[in-house]
Amino acid sequence: MENKEKLIKAFTESLGIEPQLVTDELTYNTIPQWDSTAHMVLIAELENVFDVMLDTDDIIDLSSVAQAKIILQKYDDSIEFA
Amino acid sequence: MTALSSPNLADSSVLITGATGDIGEAIVTRAIADKAFVIACGRNESKLEQLSSQFEGQIHTLCYDVTDEKAISNAFREVQKGVTAKRWPALYGLVNSAGIMAEAVLPMTSGETLKQQMAVNFFAPYQHMQLASRLMSRQKAGSIVNIVSQVGELGSSGMSAYAASKAALTGATKSLAKELAPKGIRVNAVAPGFIDTALTSHYDDPAKQKVYGRIELRRGGTAKEVADAVLYLLSSHASYTTGHVLPVDGLFCP
Repeated sequence: MENKEKLIKAFTESLGIEPQLVTDELTYNTIPQWDSTAHMVLIAELENVFDVMLDTDDIIDLSSVAQAKIILQKYDDSIEFA
Repeated sequence: MTALSSPNLADSSVLITGATGDIGEAIVTRAIADKAFVIACGRNESKLEQLSSQFEGQIHTLCYDVTDEKAISNAFREVQKGVTAKRWPALYGLVNSAGIMAEAVLPMTSGETLKQQMAVNFFAPYQHMQLASRLMSRQKAGSIVNIVSQVGELGSSGMSAYAASKAALTGATKSLAKELAPKGIRVNAVAPGFIDTALTSHYDDPAKQKVYGRIELRRGGTAKEVADAVLYLLSSHASYTTGHVLPVDGLFCP
């Protein structure tokens, strides 16, 4: 599975939303499904799928899909979202 | 009366901080006896090497200072890499055993002494719980045991900074028990009283006798007795217990 697909799957399964909602513009706390509880589920899922451990500052900064891509790439150069 | 059967921690990794201290080493020994894979963390390199050869194949050692935030993050990355590579089982247990104690009356407690005790006794376990709970939540199962202190629970003259640092950890234990329960993670604490270890070795005999006079069982505890309580809370024997502080103090009356 491509990284982009893995990312979309992580968001849809953690937040319980449709794949078409997972765009770069989707931002934390702008939809009821992406609240603080779901955020931690999302973090666990992203760490699991991409096999990384995020720093606390990055968990706080991970406030959009676009931001998630930037942060995940920081941990592993091989993660690309073309 | 039948004895409790041995708790089964097979297929579980348990990370133990302060593993080179007397209580930490006793916890390592008990956890391995209960079939856990132990990730032993400490600062004493030679002691870690000794543990490594003593428990070959059942232990992985990590040498770092618990006040080094970056080192803690790296330690958990290494733990997860080991899980991914199937070198050891998924992280199920965390025991925050690293601690320091500096006795001083209020006017003689420097800011540095206060900060150092807060750093080791509270900030470090807190960061370990942050990272461990994220790994445990992947399995939706985990058990955290913090070593607090009866000094923190009951107070003790001349130990306000130490008491405050341990009381902070008790507060975090009770709150995180509630916060992490939906993720299948239990959080408990063991509160030792006067335990005969290196931490209390500066007490001479008359001073010890004075303390023993305030303990209903009239003796100091052993590191093994603390480890037994820790392993009980870690194990499935305590599967319906969370947010609890278990005193191991011979009924200490300050």
